[in-house]
Amino acid sequence: MSRGGHFHVAGLRKRFGRRLLLDDVELHLHETSCTLLTGENGAGKSTLLRILAGLEKPDGGSFRLGRRLYPSWRKARRSLQKAVMYLHQQPYLFDGSVEYNLRLALGGQREGQEALIRTALQWIDMESFRETPARTLSGGERQRLALARAWLASPEIMLLDEPTANLDTESRGRTLELLRGLRNQGIVLVIASHDPHHFEELAECRIDLHNGRLTHLAPRGAGTVQSAKVIPIRQGYA
Amino acid sequence: MTSLAEATGHALDLLLAGDAGLWQIIAISFKVSGSAILLATPPALLTAFVLAYLRFPGRRLLISLFSTLLSVPAVVVGLTLYLLLSNQGPLGDWRLLFTQSAMVMGQVVLAFPILVAMGHAALQSVDKRAWETARTLGASLLRAFFMVLREARFGLLAALLAAYGRIIAEVGASMMLGGNILDYTRNIPTAIALETSKGEFAQGIALGAILLLLAFTLNGILQHVQGKGVPST
Ligand SMILES: Nc1ncnc2c1ncn2[C@@H]1O[C@H](COP(=O)(O)OP(=O)(O)O)[C@@H](O)[C@H]1O
Ligand SMILES: [Mg+2]
Repeated sequence: MSRGGHFHVAGLRKRFGRRLLLDDVELHLHETSCTLLTGENGAGKSTLLRILAGLEKPDGGSFRLGRRLYPSWRKARRSLQKAVMYLHQQPYLFDGSVEYNLRLALGGQREGQEALIRTALQWIDMESFRETPARTLSGGERQRLALARAWLASPEIMLLDEPTANLDTESRGRTLELLRGLRNQGIVLVIASHDPHHFEELAECRIDLHNGRLTHLAPRGAGTVQSAKVIPIRQGYA
Repeated sequence: MTSLAEATGHALDLLLAGDAGLWQIIAISFKVSGSAILLATPPALLTAFVLAYLRFPGRRLLISLFSTLLSVPAVVVGLTLYLLLSNQGPLGDWRLLFTQSAMVMGQVVLAFPILVAMGHAALQSVDKRAWETARTLGASLLRAFFMVLREARFGLLAALLAAYGRIIAEVGASMMLGGNILDYTRNIPTAIALETSKGEFAQGIALGAILLLLAFTLNGILQHVQGKGVPST
């Protein structure tokens, strides 16, 4: 998907046992959008995001990334894993320093690694933590490190699973600030949360997952975002 | 027959004097077992990884197969390979019986299930998010594989040490497949067996001391390594 392209999913289905978690779901993300995904616990938010990131296999669905069309998840998987980043509710930090975790996002040799690492550390205000073992960080610091690592991987779309759950007010504020920064850089964000009021200012669009169906809801904080170019979610063929 | 004290004294002399025959036997042991570990580890780690990360029919069966293979006696492995490699056997044309290669084969077969079973346990205990995080960060399959291996490095090292400890001290398969030929296939355990049966205890004791020392060393590393690493949350 080229920057400024669309991300479109149609006919998405997923079942666990007898439970139909996603029932013919259709989703369209436009550039520079920030979408809030709500739904009660167990509604399938995480599953939906993981499918979109190419981490979990759905039972059906087609994908469009930019101009390229993929008739199945299997065919789309590689491109999804490349362009779409999924951030776990509890970020997984590798057994090593903060710097080690950041470097992992840069892959093999690449010019200007050091400058990127420094920028990332500055961005999350953790320059003094460079050598700290990542697994000794507090919850808020872990979340910030995960965001910086995600940013270094330069995805086009970031899917965030409950990014502020289990955070205190201060950490939540900082996380929201970082998310705003990512959105302003043109990264498409989807934020799953069963606690939507924290994100009202950030997201210009809200979708709700209920009984396997996605519903587009009018944002309560509408009008706060200038560049809101979001094509509303359409219901599947009911 | 010399007294035990005399033999022990003689053993020390042999070790300290750098007796060529003795050190040749030790070198053969390390060479054969080292090659076996090097050959067995990559496919074993891959197998362990597949068992830990992929869901496919027959997976549980394979896991219990490998834990069963753990307890197959070395002589049975030796016998099986002997029958395969002997002149009348299906692999007789390879002319490998009574060579170092045959010993390596035997030790690979012995090491493989240990590496798979312990490697599987180590990889199993790595959080599944590690793989997903690696992939979603853009790592290739191979790179993600190594990132996960690194997360399990202490458990994997324990598997390596356990497998090495088993094959370097193993006598049954080496005896049958190598033939205990001096300066070629005579390693520490087969030399101990031979010298002892001849009533020559000094060399046996010296070699036994080497094995014990090795066992203590491996165990020491194992103790040091186990419980290392910070668990993820
Ligand atoms: N691998 C799985 N196997 C079986 N059931 C699963 C699996 N993953 C999730 N589920 C079930 O699917 C439902 C939705 O889970 P999830 O997507 O995590 O919901 P949410 O993120 O909205 O809370 C839950 O009831 C959960 O138990
Ligand atoms: Mg969830």
